[in-house]
Amino acid sequence: MRLAIASAFLLILSAVPGWAQGKSPPPIPNAIPVAVPSLVPAGPPLGVPSRAAFSGSSSASSYLRPNVQTVVANSDSDNQQVAQVLRRPRPGEEPVDDTVRGDPRERQGAPIPAGRARSYEELQTRGDIVPVPDRWRILEGLGFKGKWYDPYNNNVLKGDKPVYGKDGFVLLNVISDTVYEPRAFPVPVGVATTSRPGTNDLFGKPDQYVFNQNLITNLTLIKGNTAFKPPDLELRITPVFNYNYASVKERGLLRRNPERGKSRSDNHIGMQELFLDYHIRNVSDRYDFDSIRVGIQPFNADFRGFMFLDNQPGVRLFGTRNNNIFQYNLAWFRRLEKDTNSGLNHIGKKIRDDDVFIGNLYYQDFPVLGFTSQITAIYNRNTEQKFFYDKNGFLQRPAAIGIQRPHDYKVGYLGYNGDGHFGRTNLTVSGYYAYGEEDGSIFTDEKSDIRAWFMAAEPSIDYSWTRLRGSFLYASGDKDPFDKKSKGFSSIFENPQFAGADTSFWIRQNIPLIGGGGVALSQRNGVLPDLRSSREHGQSNFVNPGLRLMGGGADFDVLPQLRLSTNINHLNFNETDVLEALRNEGEIRSSIGWDMSASAIYRPVMSQNVVFRLSYAALLPGKGFKDLYHTENEHFYTLLANLTLAY
Amino acid sequence: MTAKTITCILAGLVALLGGTMSAKAQNLSGLDVYRVISQAVQEAAVRNRPATIAVTDRVGNVLAVYQMPGAPPTVTVNSGRNVRTGIDGLAGVVPSTMAAISKAVTGAYLSSSGNAFSTRTASQIVQRNFNPGEILAPGGPLFGVQFSQLPCSDLSRRYFNGASPVPPDQFRGPKRSPLGLSADPGGLPLYINGVVVGGVGVAADGVYGLDADVSDIDTDLDEIIAVAGSSGYAPPQDILASRITVEGKTLRFSDVDARALAATPGLAPAVNPAGFIGVTGYSDVPILAGQTYGSSASGVRPVNAVSDGPGYANVAAVAGFVPFLLTSGADAPFFPVIPGTANAGQNLTAAEVPVILGHALRVAASARAQIRRPLQSFVQVTVSIVDAEGQVLGQARTPDAPIFGIDVSLQKARTAAFMSKQNAAANLENPGVFPSIRVVANAINGLIPNHAYTVPNYVTNMRAFVGPGSLSDGIAYTDRAIGNLARPYFPDGVSTNGNGPLSRPVASWSPFSTGLQFDLAVGNIINHVLFVRNLNLDVTGDGRGDFDPDGNGVVNDTGLGCTPVVSNSSGLNPLANGLQIFAGSTPIYKNGVLVGAIGVSGDGIDQDDMVAFLGLHNASVGLGTGVSHAPAAIRSDQLAPAGVRLRYVSCPFSPFINSNEQRACEGK
Repeated sequence: MRLAIASAFLLILSAVPGWAQGKSPPPIPNAIPVAVPSLVPAGPPLGVPSRAAFSGSSSASSYLRPNVQTVVANSDSDNQQVAQVLRRPRPGEEPVDDTVRGDPRERQGAPIPAGRARSYEELQTRGDIVPVPDRWRILEGLGFKGKWYDPYNNNVLKGDKPVYGKDGFVLLNVISDTVYEPRAFPVPVGVATTSRPGTNDLFGKPDQYVFNQNLITNLTLIKGNTAFKPPDLELRITPVFNYNYASVKERGLLRRNPERGKSRSDNHIGMQELFLDYHIRNVSDRYDFDSIRVGIQPFNADFRGFMFLDNQPGVRLFGTRNNNIFQYNLAWFRRLEKDTNSGLNHIGKKIRDDDVFIGNLYYQDFPVLGFTSQITAIYNRNTEQKFFYDKNGFLQRPAAIGIQRPHDYKVGYLGYNGDGHFGRTNLTVSGYYAYGEEDGSIFTDEKSDIRAWFMAAEPSIDYSWTRLRGSFLYASGDKDPFDKKSKGFSSIFENPQFAGADTSFWIRQNIPLIGGGGVALSQRNGVLPDLRSSREHGQSNFVNPGLRLMGGGADFDVLPQLRLSTNINHLNFNETDVLEALRNEGEIRSSIGWDMSASAIYRPVMSQNVVFRLSYAALLPGKGFKDLYHTENEHFYTLLANLTLAY
Repeated sequence: MTAKTITCILAGLVALLGGTMSAKAQNLSGLDVYRVISQAVQEAAVRNRPATIAVTDRVGNVLAVYQMPGAPPTVTVNSGRNVRTGIDGLAGVVPSTMAAISKAVTGAYLSSSGNAFSTRTASQIVQRNFNPGEILAPGGPLFGVQFSQLPCSDLSRRYFNGASPVPPDQFRGPKRSPLGLSADPGGLPLYINGVVVGGVGVAADGVYGLDADVSDIDTDLDEIIAVAGSSGYAPPQDILASRITVEGKTLRFSDVDARALAATPGLAPAVNPAGFIGVTGYSDVPILAGQTYGSSASGVRPVNAVSDGPGYANVAAVAGFVPFLLTSGADAPFFPVIPGTANAGQNLTAAEVPVILGHALRVAASARAQIRRPLQSFVQVTVSIVDAEGQVLGQARTPDAPIFGIDVSLQKARTAAFMSKQNAAANLENPGVFPSIRVVANAINGLIPNHAYTVPNYVTNMRAFVGPGSLSDGIAYTDRAIGNLARPYFPDGVSTNGNGPLSRPVASWSPFSTGLQFDLAVGNIINHVLFVRNLNLDVTGDGRGDFDPDGNGVVNDTGLGCTPVVSNSSGLNPLANGLQIFAGSTPIYKNGVLVGAIGVSGDGIDQDDMVAFLGLHNASVGLGTGVSHAPAAIRSDQLAPAGVRLRYVSCPFSPFINSNEQRACEGK
């Protein structure tokens, strides 16, 4: 009985973005045509695989995670939707033979009921047919008519009916995403002044909280026969209206100026999407295609957001071949400056001197059915020579560590990524090799060769309503900060949907490297300890300690409305020499500690329209963390309460 | 003549042999000095930029000064800020020799076997932001250190030209630095076998300034010539400033290296002996060999538990190792341990002083150094204890602490004691010293237009800023608190704000014109410049030189003791080596009464703070005689002028070498 309920639930889940289970279709990379109007807001990066859901990221809500200075822009929701629409038949399913037309009953040799009309005229006469203006208004013709605002019935705002001509559609989505996040991580008390008398040391009171409200509005104009074939033209605009508030216990944390108090409220309107998508041509009668998209658009360079998952302006040529077996992307992005406190795009600022060139190829059902392989080549060129301070007065470029001189870097990444399943075992893998050159390494100020690598894998297996999961990640570290090699792995703009994702303490929180410069040990919504000033504004840094992560977790679909997830990761630095040099402190050990988290996702109406998520994570500091921070009698945690309402 | 030629050839040969000389000694021999000079001269000559070059030993003895024909005779003091106050903007007055010596002394004094710092390093850490130019960043960690080792310091030894018989301390250090420490690139330390043995300083470009922008890479003539000079005497790579981080930022050692040289140093030819010159107050013509640091002759040596008396024996016993001290005369301690003068019935006894010194050194020996490599080195500092009137009750140091901390630790201790004492306001306003000061101020006006005696104004500022009873209400000030009040922005680094009450307004502020600190010493500094040049000005027009009170036509040197301040309670000078305005001291109380202060200098400022603060705390616990920190209720961190709390101390992250403990100073 329970099994039946569970499988029914899975079915429901699989129809809902972000909830697809192990039986879900293979992840759909960016190359998938995305012009299909989705019921959930579009905008966030495409191609995040279904299992992102397990890592605790909530659908559209993950557009934004508020923070002292960071926010994420990411969602996997609509991709699932797209996946549902475009899924190819899976093993065990009846293949659709669309080469044969006509009444399927005929094909199956079934008898045709007597009295079948033989002509259009006869149909009309018999009243079996009602004339309607077009295929979009069949239901209307039959007398079904919803309220104008009702998204569950035929609705102009949801792209169900054309608003101009026969194939001009409008799609409107509105999402409210509210986050309340109490948390505690090590903080300094500030150099110039302190909050309280008697503060004689460097480490302050860690407790703080943030509140963040996003209103994501997404308007899409589509020309084309939407659900029936890829649209010809799509224009999308997604402004996000943000308000954020942070409260801490020490001065100088929220703003560099210690006079500016211990709380901060701020707001911003970010442009997360603004693009035109032109369907160049179809290259097969299965709608393999070539398409070009110009403007601010979501992009994910791999399945799990390890490398570049962002909404940036660019030009992207993409398409599919061989009945969607192959998908490709050729893209160039020039990165926008972000708004410091909302993490949203800041189109009012000068665009960054940072280009990302990406070419990738997805190969479905390779090497086995149900597994998608991707190879990618990425080139990131950063020539930011000007000093840049964020909104709060903190120096972001160059980072306030080491030589602190502006420097360029050029780095190529070669990567292999895979996602899918081998038999019952689900597997995601990712591997990158970084090869390039820094013009002025942070310690030597001399040319330095970038040679770094990264690997991650997440196998999982389902037992009924339970999924068990393992997470493994290795990012190379730099052993000698003073040589002419930069061996620490750094990405472009990570947003990892991995090992607990933003439920995890380490991935979620921005832990400042107190005493070691104006950088964070790990970024907010980042897993790599790449010692950047921030993920939003900072440059990549290839002189870093690197990371080893080993973890496991389990997901429990307790009720159709409720999923519980647990996760435990053990984290280690690979090489602590960089940290030792930055702090002039010897013998920093490698263990960061145990990161333990649990989350509950509650969807009272079993849809993505109302999602409540509550998660909690704690860090049990390891020896290395204790070497760096005051940990005695401190409790480092993150609590995340998140409500998403979607129209 | 022939002999000279032979010497020159020999010296040239020695220069050719290069490193072979450096294998055996830990002091600079005369030939080493000659080699450094000849290498520098060659580089300057090839570039056709005549230079003035000075070489000192580690304790500041000037071993040689060489001036090439055509070298700029004077330097223009210029911070680049165009403020034209203090000595900033002073042109045509300061001899290049003083600049070169100051730079050599700075290279030698800031360095040790654990850290090699240069004048460029100094430049990076004395400006109003750290790093210089970084908006909203608090000031340099050694903000104000440029006004230490002052020529008027009562601690520094002096050289008496041609004195006969030779005074016993003629070649003992630490010697004063003619212009204080220098931030002008072109002063480098010299090393032999990984041991700092001295410094070389070059003045060739005619400017005595600083590097206001560390984000670019300079091509500084003085520095290039100094790099040439130091070739073969360069510090080990691993202890260069560029490998040492403060707040995660690496320090600058030199913007150029040997690749920038136009000539090969090892091939330097002999120099024209006529270029060697004597400098009044610093050196005579024959090249000297450097003293070996640690020997009695150098003036800094290990404590001798037998001959230095029970006080220092006890310091060693409490510290757990044999510290170093200053020596004088017939090898006696320069600062014998003495009891403090009574203050409101309380004083530090001769038994208590060594315990405090010992505990402070003990803390240092267990603490993680911020500015030394290899990592896991312990803190090396000098610790000074003064009584409430600024009189030295004892001083001791770890063996390899940088020399500059000898003077600075005393400045810091005196600053804390002086500013915490209830007569601080009165002493700064002391009408008794006005007449003589006015004369000096008028005299200085000949050099620095618009200079006025403004010291009492700072008291007014303090009253307006901190409270009407300021500097007379018995608030306990550490040098960290005083330093924060002496920044051109308040709070420190916030450039949209005005200055702290002890600083000049930012429009007229520069590292050459800091505020109360500078104004207290400007008379001494100018007097000394005129003394070295023997420029007998008579701006006041009374028929005799302004600094020639005996009217013999020769400018007198500045007296022994900086600042015009005279304590109204003791009649002594409580700031006799100048005021210091960066962290590393804390006042000492006994049964609730101010009895003195402890000052520490030589490592990171948080380390200095901790050694002073924890050292006193531990001593207080060990002694049980009522010696203690200031009660929490009267510490400066109870004050929040303009809403900004005045920190008392700030102890460092990961304070100890072999411990996870992080909050070492909490609740103490």
